[in-house]
Amino acid sequence: MPFNAKSMKFNANINTVEIGTGDKAIKIGGENTFPFYTFDAPTVNAPKVGIEISDMGLANEPDCIKAVYAGCESVVDMAKKAVTFEGVDFLALKLEGGDPNGENKPTEELVELAKAVAEAVDAPLVIEGCKNVEKDAELLSKCAEALQGKNVLLMSSKEENYKSIGASAGLAYNQKVGAESSVDINLAKQLNVLLSQLGVNSQAVVMNVGSAAAGYGFEYVISTMDRIKAAALQQGDNTLQMPIITPVAGDAWGVKEASASEADVPEWGCVESRAIDMEVATAAAVLASASDAVILKHPVSVATISKMIKELA
Amino acid sequence: MSTIFERVFRGNDAVYGLTQNAIDAAIAQYGADQPVSFPNTAYCLPCYYAVSGVKVKTLGELKAAMDVVKTLMGRTEELNSVLFSGVATALCAEFIEVLKYLNGANPYEEPCYGHLADAIIRELGVPLVTGDIPGVAVIVGSAPTKEDAAALIKSYQAQGILVTLVGGCIDQALEAGMTLGYGVRVVPLGRDVTSVIHVVSVALRAALIFGNVTPGDAGALIAYTKERVPAFVNAFKPVDDVVLTAGAGAICLGFPVISNEDEDIVPIPGALIGEPDVANFNKVSLEARNIKIKITKIDIPLAFASAFEGEIIRKKDMQVEFDGSRKDCFELVKTKEMSEVEDHKIELIGPDFDEMEEGSKQNIAYIVEVAGKNMQSDFEPVFERKFHSYLNCIEGVMHTGQRDMIRVRVSKNAFAEGFRAKHIGEVLYAKTKSEFEAVVDKCQVTIVTDPEMVAKLRHEVAIPAFDARDDRLNNLTDESVPVYYSCIMCQAFSPSHVCVVTPERLGLCGAVSWLDAKATNELDPSGPCQVITKERVIDEEVGAYEDVDEAVKKFSQGALEHVTLYSIMKDPMTSCGCFECICGIEPFSNGVVIANREYAGQTPLGMTFPELASMTGGGVQTPGFMGHGKHFIASKKFMKAEGGIERIVWMPKDLKDTVAERLNATAKELYGIENFTDMVADETITTDPEELVAFLTEKGHPALGLEPMLA
Amino acid sequence: MAKLTGIDIFKLTPKKNCKECGCPTCMAFGMKVAQGALEISKCPHMAPEAIAKLSEASAPPMKTIKAGVGETEITLGGETVLYRHEKTFVNKTRYGVNVCSCMDDAVVEEVFAGIPKVDYERIGERMFAEVINVAYCEGTDAAKYVAMVERAAGMSRTLVLDVKDVEVAKAALAVCKAQKPILNGANAANYEAMNALATAEGVVLGVSAANIDELYDVTAKLEALGNKNLVLDATGASIKETYAIAVQMRRAAIKNSDRTFGYPSIVNLAKLAKGDLHLQTALASVFTLKYGSIVVMEKIDYSQALPLYGLRQNVFTDPQKPMKVAPGIYSINGGDENSVCLTTVDFALTYFVVSGELERSGVPCNLLISDAGGLSVLTAWAAGKLSSSSIAKYFAEFEIENKIKNRTLVIPGKVAVLKGDIEAKLPGWNIVVGPNEAVQLVKFLKDMNA
Repeated sequence: MPFNAKSMKFNANINTVEIGTGDKAIKIGGENTFPFYTFDAPTVNAPKVGIEISDMGLANEPDCIKAVYAGCESVVDMAKKAVTFEGVDFLALKLEGGDPNGENKPTEELVELAKAVAEAVDAPLVIEGCKNVEKDAELLSKCAEALQGKNVLLMSSKEENYKSIGASAGLAYNQKVGAESSVDINLAKQLNVLLSQLGVNSQAVVMNVGSAAAGYGFEYVISTMDRIKAAALQQGDNTLQMPIITPVAGDAWGVKEASASEADVPEWGCVESRAIDMEVATAAAVLASASDAVILKHPVSVATISKMIKELA
Repeated sequence: MSTIFERVFRGNDAVYGLTQNAIDAAIAQYGADQPVSFPNTAYCLPCYYAVSGVKVKTLGELKAAMDVVKTLMGRTEELNSVLFSGVATALCAEFIEVLKYLNGANPYEEPCYGHLADAIIRELGVPLVTGDIPGVAVIVGSAPTKEDAAALIKSYQAQGILVTLVGGCIDQALEAGMTLGYGVRVVPLGRDVTSVIHVVSVALRAALIFGNVTPGDAGALIAYTKERVPAFVNAFKPVDDVVLTAGAGAICLGFPVISNEDEDIVPIPGALIGEPDVANFNKVSLEARNIKIKITKIDIPLAFASAFEGEIIRKKDMQVEFDGSRKDCFELVKTKEMSEVEDHKIELIGPDFDEMEEGSKQNIAYIVEVAGKNMQSDFEPVFERKFHSYLNCIEGVMHTGQRDMIRVRVSKNAFAEGFRAKHIGEVLYAKTKSEFEAVVDKCQVTIVTDPEMVAKLRHEVAIPAFDARDDRLNNLTDESVPVYYSCIMCQAFSPSHVCVVTPERLGLCGAVSWLDAKATNELDPSGPCQVITKERVIDEEVGAYEDVDEAVKKFSQGALEHVTLYSIMKDPMTSCGCFECICGIEPFSNGVVIANREYAGQTPLGMTFPELASMTGGGVQTPGFMGHGKHFIASKKFMKAEGGIERIVWMPKDLKDTVAERLNATAKELYGIENFTDMVADETITTDPEELVAFLTEKGHPALGLEPMLA
Repeated sequence: MAKLTGIDIFKLTPKKNCKECGCPTCMAFGMKVAQGALEISKCPHMAPEAIAKLSEASAPPMKTIKAGVGETEITLGGETVLYRHEKTFVNKTRYGVNVCSCMDDAVVEEVFAGIPKVDYERIGERMFAEVINVAYCEGTDAAKYVAMVERAAGMSRTLVLDVKDVEVAKAALAVCKAQKPILNGANAANYEAMNALATAEGVVLGVSAANIDELYDVTAKLEALGNKNLVLDATGASIKETYAIAVQMRRAAIKNSDRTFGYPSIVNLAKLAKGDLHLQTALASVFTLKYGSIVVMEKIDYSQALPLYGLRQNVFTDPQKPMKVAPGIYSINGGDENSVCLTTVDFALTYFVVSGELERSGVPCNLLISDAGGLSVLTAWAAGKLSSSSIAKYFAEFEIENKIKNRTLVIPGKVAVLKGDIEAKLPGWNIVVGPNEAVQLVKFLKDMNA
């Protein structure tokens, strides 16, 4: 008696969003099944993996990352090296130095850096802001202008500043807009609606619906993503059919499991291995909950997740 | 005297003739193949391209375009003929302007800009979309004096409005010593009236770039400029036929024209506005274009932050106190007509704080009068409830209570820093205006400290207003309103839960009334409260509507298909986790038991509140059980489908005491039962089902005689 | 058939409130059965026809299977939903370590030695490798295998005997059956004999197959033989196939009421991603979400355990019952009696986020956690569970004033409104309003110290 499989291929699709230009351009989204449900329908675009570097260079990075980029003199050098690692589909440049409560680097300086990085690599580029909504409004808008023609994704357009980033990235300069909300399907939806009311083409929007490290309230992340995909595919809700990108590195590397030194907790063992495992466990979980792209920090994590995607997709 | 039609048509004909001659002359000189273009734009002749969808690249094509322009020039005495003639004039102006650039000429010199590049539009577009540039002023002609010109320009500059200048006002501004230029957001376009087209060109290219308007789709174009480009025109007299016809073009795009011209002009409400006093241009223009200036700073000598919300001011630190329990005091929001409110007017009637004895109790009333196109008197209590938080956020000010039972204390320190009565007005003005931006266009505050006046206002204005509001609330029934509202604030915890909020059934958390939901919807249209229509009735008795079902299905992402408003047995409304109370069917008495969150003990159902909550919560429909607010218990709609409140057989004593008055009133009204709550058991009587039945039998509780709930 | 409601079940009870089922009323009984918290047969007065009718309808779509004994007994399956937001996942994924008869002795030694090393507590839950998968590789020394099983049986873990040879299985069971292991032995070729063995020894039988159809077929045959004490080995030839089997099995059971696939699953990553530990971590994470009941890895050290157990704890919480941390004084960065105090609620997520930021600040401090019903700051405040009285009560209960000399208390910015009341209730304390969001704490503490 064979198994009577019932397919769950949906009539609705997630939007396909292209980032980057030329041969290296990537397509994210497009699926009409739940994640990796290849038995329901073949994979449209396999999820993509990005590697993250910061405008702060190696200043705030742990030793293992310093080792990875040994010999790099500048952020541009790091960018060039980062895109050569196995499994890297795109580069994510995080402009954390812009934070007024931190380094407070001037916008012009960061925009120049973004331009220099964009010139130096041909991989698709994702720009992440500094988490300060006012600064991001200015910073990401200026980046959108400076990177015209590169088809970059500008993350961190939030309810508080979506107008600036949406108008610049989405309307004025034809880039892609990352709509960032915090772990709630209705907030994600609301932001998408607001962006489309602003006139931004929903085909140019990628969502970051918020994340956490595994173990840190991660259940909300899973449920939010599960529900968004179900609404998008099962209910055909076109205000939620944007693909999801999840920056994993920031959360994963921030928790003590990934950062406590071997001297502080000798029984936990190698800190680099712990950080990688925290990063891959979190990334794997958000991919299984229907993220269409993840942003990671360690090249081993990138290679591992990329391999996992190849096996599953 | 000519009619407006005659004047516009005459002006249009004149411009058309001029343009034709100019093109002919240019062709004669350069030939029809001579290219025409503006510098630094991908949109050729942007206005003509936007309106027609045709890219004009040579003088020959420009001449051909004149035939298209001609088709706009209707001559019937209809408004459309006037407006389209205005557009025709504008297009002619663009043609005349582009001829200035022929053969690589550079027609504009400092300080004038002429044509503006695409890059500037992309740059300007972002702050326009975000509202950082709240508007665009187009000033045409010469002001009565150079000082008038400078004052007007500066008033707009101070509000962040982008100012463009055409004609005599440019030299007036220069003579007045003003710095002009894109950097300071005052852009002189040119001295000829045709140079006004360069700002029109900005608006139309914005529509193409930011509005994704298809070139040639004139309807979408006009809709975009009307809704999204907050421009307006200030035209100084004399307004001749040519200026008037250009103004008609502006009006067609949705830009009102404000002028001090008083001859041969017939005002058109909202579009062509006469204002003799140039000093009022700013105010009149902003109102006409519905431009709201964001308030970023509250003008008070103290800090204002939520960190001070919990600050307590003790008697010894108190400079003055306003105590509604001892003295006449009140706070009130009133909706007014637009013409009755002067924005940001703050008036004090009576002595200020420094005329009050230290440590004394005084009278105060603050009346916040608001006006707005979308303002509704139902929002008044919503605003008023926020006053508590606004005033508490002031460092050194403490506020408790509401309506005419307020108490406000001002600390000695606050007083020493210069805090006075008008600053209360500043805070209320700034917060009301900024937080309720969506509905408040104008706001003024009157503070009264004169004891007699406060007493009079309290009894003649405030108390009647509060009474009227209470009456409105009490008279609001599910039948009397056209729509209900959804509320999905709790979906983070209960993914599929949707509250349907009706006047008689507030959200089950007890915190969201129909009026609250309505206000939330108006203030945040894409937020958690959405309109649910109730047009397609399935069964009025149980409260089933196709519209409600559709809404519930949509907002629960398909998890729920049917919901009734008034039944706990058939498709009851779901419960999240925030319910104040749960009612559950008690089969032996044929009634329901209600338990509230605070009640920790056992119920006759054999289940405690937490047990009931775990079975009922999470957005799941559980027939026979339902979460609800305390207020709902006395509602005539409470499980109306099963017979209503006479089904209630048991509730905890504290809860019973809380709702007794209203519940008894409802029971009397519905069934003529006096002191209904005496028949309802509580934990001091019994929590055993058999004893419950015995008690109910003794009291003659009506539930025992009703139809069985479990068929 | 549609799911039975509490009222449907109540109607079939004798309505006597006899309390013999343990519930105070028949209605309470009905509601509990409907929830899956009680079995219908607990009612001694129900007519046999009614029980039969209801058992079928109220039977969970997926069987609940128990293995192991005593403290290390594990409960698998019993799920009723595909997504945790729909209701709750009830029985958490169990992680196991693989040891195989084909391994060198030194490796075996290393694996066994590694198993007890990870053993810690996280929010009230003991975290350790709960399962040992002892695999028999065909052609290897059976005696060595039995010895390995015997050793594993002594480690207070639940055993899975991954052995397809009936004789070897018999020998292995002889040394560990008291531990109630899972005999993952049945396949298309041997299921009758294995079934006989498992039934005779009273242990759970594991089923494996070459593909999903065969798995379904063998399971159906075992059910026909009367054995419903099964777990199904979803491990296929590839990662992709394994994922397809695990997902489709669960979906068939829950969504399509296909009870043949209504059993817990085993996923063996030691086979699928041999030698790549990071990939095993990633896949364990995927199978924790997507329906692995037992996930076997080559090893579990802290590197794997910390993220996976954290993830599992998150995934298997009741979405309506937030996780709580115990009230108390949490010293951070070596905070002592002279260090500044900060307070927040006992909602685990809040605690983790706040304590994480405090650690990041490097400032020695005391985090005072009071009982706020496991709610977030604003919710707790709105519900009256975080108030000046609740804080004062906590201060009294934990004798804060005796334990801490510092007299500065930082309260969450979102409840700035409590400041005055707290000042009144805690005389002598300097109450400072902190930031609204935890991320602002680093800067806040820096500025405060400056």
